[in-house]
Amino acid sequence: MGTNGNGRRSGTKLPDVRRPMDEGDCVNDMDSPELDFVYDDCDSQANEIAELYSYTEHPEFQLNVKAFEDIMEEFNFPPSWQRLTLPQQRTVVMKLLEHLDVAVSDVRMRSARCILYLAQGCWAEMQSDAEQAHWARLNIMTLYEMGTFAAFIELLNLEIVRSSSAMASRKIAESLPDSTNLRVILSVLYLITEHMRTEKENPDSEYACLVKNFKEELGTPFGEELLPVKLLSMVTHLCAGTTPYFPMKKVLLLLWKVLLVYLGGSKELKERKARLREMYGLAPINEDTLEIIKGMRASSPPPSAADMLENQNPGQRKLKENERALRRQTFMKQTSLDESDEQIYVDKEESGNGSEDYPMEFQSMPADNMQNQNTNQNCPYYMYFKQFDSPPPPPPLPRSLPWQSKVRQKDIDMFLDNVRIKFVGYSLPGDRQTVAGLPQPIHEGVEILKKHMYTSLSEVQAEREIEIARSPLTKGEKIVEETEAEILYRAMLPNLPQYMIALLKILLAAAPTSTAKTYSINIMADLLPEEMPVTVLQSLKLGIDVNRHKEIIVKAVTAILLLLLKHFKINHVYQFEFMSQHLVYANCMPLVLKFFNQDILSYVGAKNTIPIFDFPACVIGEQPELTKECLEIGDSSVPYSWRNVFSCINLLRILNKLTKWKNARIMMLVVFKSAPILKRTLKVRHALMQFYVLKLLKMQTKYLGRQWRKTNMKTISAIYSKVRHRLNDDWAFGNDVDARPWDFQEEECALRASVDRFNHRRYGSGGGQEVDLTPVDTDINSVLESNVELDEEFKDNYELWLEQEVYNNEINWDVLLST
Amino acid sequence: MADGTQILRRNQPGSRAKDFCRWPDEPFEEMDSTLAVQQFIQQTIRRDPANLEAILKMPEAQDEGVWKYEHLRQFCMELNGLAVRLQSECKPETCTQMTATEQWIFLCAAHKTPKECPAIDYTRHTLDGAACLLNSNKYFPSRVSIKESSVAKLGSVCRRVYRIFSHAYFHHRAIFDAFEKETHLCKRFTYFVTKYSIISKEILILPKLDDETPITQTVGESEA
Repeated sequence: MGTNGNGRRSGTKLPDVRRPMDEGDCVNDMDSPELDFVYDDCDSQANEIAELYSYTEHPEFQLNVKAFEDIMEEFNFPPSWQRLTLPQQRTVVMKLLEHLDVAVSDVRMRSARCILYLAQGCWAEMQSDAEQAHWARLNIMTLYEMGTFAAFIELLNLEIVRSSSAMASRKIAESLPDSTNLRVILSVLYLITEHMRTEKENPDSEYACLVKNFKEELGTPFGEELLPVKLLSMVTHLCAGTTPYFPMKKVLLLLWKVLLVYLGGSKELKERKARLREMYGLAPINEDTLEIIKGMRASSPPPSAADMLENQNPGQRKLKENERALRRQTFMKQTSLDESDEQIYVDKEESGNGSEDYPMEFQSMPADNMQNQNTNQNCPYYMYFKQFDSPPPPPPLPRSLPWQSKVRQKDIDMFLDNVRIKFVGYSLPGDRQTVAGLPQPIHEGVEILKKHMYTSLSEVQAEREIEIARSPLTKGEKIVEETEAEILYRAMLPNLPQYMIALLKILLAAAPTSTAKTYSINIMADLLPEEMPVTVLQSLKLGIDVNRHKEIIVKAVTAILLLLLKHFKINHVYQFEFMSQHLVYANCMPLVLKFFNQDILSYVGAKNTIPIFDFPACVIGEQPELTKECLEIGDSSVPYSWRNVFSCINLLRILNKLTKWKNARIMMLVVFKSAPILKRTLKVRHALMQFYVLKLLKMQTKYLGRQWRKTNMKTISAIYSKVRHRLNDDWAFGNDVDARPWDFQEEECALRASVDRFNHRRYGSGGGQEVDLTPVDTDINSVLESNVELDEEFKDNYELWLEQEVYNNEINWDVLLST
Repeated sequence: MADGTQILRRNQPGSRAKDFCRWPDEPFEEMDSTLAVQQFIQQTIRRDPANLEAILKMPEAQDEGVWKYEHLRQFCMELNGLAVRLQSECKPETCTQMTATEQWIFLCAAHKTPKECPAIDYTRHTLDGAACLLNSNKYFPSRVSIKESSVAKLGSVCRRVYRIFSHAYFHHRAIFDAFEKETHLCKRFTYFVTKYSIISKEILILPKLDDETPITQTVGESEA
């Protein structure tokens, strides 16, 4: 439809297409090289552990050794862990655990510190990082086996309450010493969890059995609460301001890792999805987003001022016009492509000025015969797919779109409806087969649509919900599978809205764009030392530490949210919808956009880390004096910050999850003017990150108007070549004639009603609306036992009632009883 | 009670104290109830409470987790006897805190946030807590097979229960000795936790009881 219009105009108004965008700073493309960042569930174990500690916590490491040495002396052992035999080590651990039950806080905490030192791998005795890591692993497994984890949870319970009573005398600002005990406890818990997580990835670990136990232990409540719920409630307490000294970074990191071990990461998600799809009789998915995108190249960022200058060069321009003519041909051709012609290939950097071009442009491709030619040309750039080192996905046609096109049943129904009205003049609601009376091309069209039909788990689950609501007795839910996500959802449900608000508040406070003024809560309590630094260098170090601290918090919060969304979505789509609704109510969307409304390139490239101060480097070997140089030591070979790219991708994925198929929320993207913000984000040259940005742009393109499209053709091309196509979806050129916000609101309300019904049905207290469906109590004893309230009027006139309803009414008891 | 062809191994209402549990032994292989392990343990104890080795000799092909679990269950049940005797002497006013030697005061872990309870309360709470845990549907849904992760919970119960013995020993020696003479419970417990390395010897602060039975591999011979 719209393609024609565009095609015609592009001939005359070519310069427009090339017009540089005016927003955004003019960063030279060369400054942002393609990032070799690989997205994963989390960073390497060493980095994840280093991030647990703030630089201001360094002096405390020495306290741990001290505790260890004191205790070993008391136990009459040499202060050298390596020299102890295994049974001796176990004895020491057992004695330490015994001390954890002692009433004197100092004794307890000394032993907790000693355990922390063991979990840190007894670094004072070690010569290298590797040695330290080796011992950390051994010790942690021994500690866990002897019940340390459960003991520390008890200690955590104790310390939460104790410290809050000790804090009655409020200070002006919380600082590091206020959370000392909690930090020791949380660190031990985190170290155990993190090691268990790593061990879980390792298929032939000798500790597989312990890992299994650990997972089971996480699933059974400690006391009354599940550990994740306990940690979430710590987060809400902090946000409520009742416990401002809680060390939030450690709590969040622990929560994230606990969820990662308990619910599982992307691997488990994939397996579970495959299993569920099989159960519901759906076709298996053979595309893995992350894998496919690993093979994609990042697009160059949208053109900048330099680009404009170049464009004014007439010679260059000539060249470009030819190129464009070629491209236009593609556009024209697209409309007549049939299904086998989905192949489009990449034409990359042919004249060396590729940096200003999207690497992916299309050319028209006369099908079949060209295919052979191209392979002979032996040009590696003709492929979307770089070489795969990991098991390659089903060998993709080298010159095809990266994704299988999809279409929903709903879209097919709509299509059929439209053509029936058009060609035969009536509709056949519910009939998905009849094509009688429709012209041949439509038949083919329907064939192709059906071939690409994709049914998601969510649709099946939502449909099942409708079925249950329709016939609750015959088709009602039998058993709900007790999956980890199910257990967690049930435990979180009563306070889920508060948890979401709390997490988002923390995200807001930690966002780099926040200023001190916008802190509604103090997330720095576990970072700021009691005495502020005096020298310039020290404050420089503290500055880096503060930024690092915030980045880590952002990383943890985004990872937690994304992980929960993903697991709930697979477990039951309405659990996911419930959570996302509350995220939307808590203003998650503007918050994420605000987050990206910063100099994203500098955020991604931020180096808020001092490698020689990271654990374990900061305790092993000789320690240098704090000098200007040592802030810069360390490898700067990586041009990006892992955690920041990770957080950005998480946030983009969260935003995608919230808005997918939700018109009302897509309108919010438009209203909040997300397009320029997102476009600036495209400057980060990372294929996965760009992919999620492009998806977000794609869904709102039709509301952005023609002017936007005209000035952003490059972005539109990138969307075309990188994002999955939905057949019949006129995302690019359909103007939003049908956009009626009130309809969208209605959709949202309907969804909300379904979610509420679901929650009520599955987790409600019973009774309520379902009164008709509860079995009638026929037991004479319990019926007579129940209290019936009679109103005054009835009591006054009961004799009349007795007369009329009982004595004057003939009841044939024999018949009544025999039925 | 053993009259008739069918032996009913049950204490009927109205049984006299001397008739309690007076039924003939049954070989373990023939016990067919789900509580066979408990039945077997109780039967061996009744035969001779001092014969530690016999009591703690695990039948072949027995699941070790269940074996430990059932023994700990039995210990807790019998410990109630000690708790009852202690009540007459160990009052919250006199023993205000849970101590063994004067060195440490222990927190009572039975509460959501551990507290400093008087010794007798500690005893009661700990035994209640242990009973709750051991009968919990979540951790021990079956008495035939037990999850590895639940077996791991037994360690901390043992450590806490042992403190009851040590408090009685150091503060109420007379009661402890009288009880021990009858039941050999502390000796048996010590042997149990040492045999399965649930608690290391260094934590077992009670001196080796009297002159008899050093807690080594040769336990039981002198008594049996």
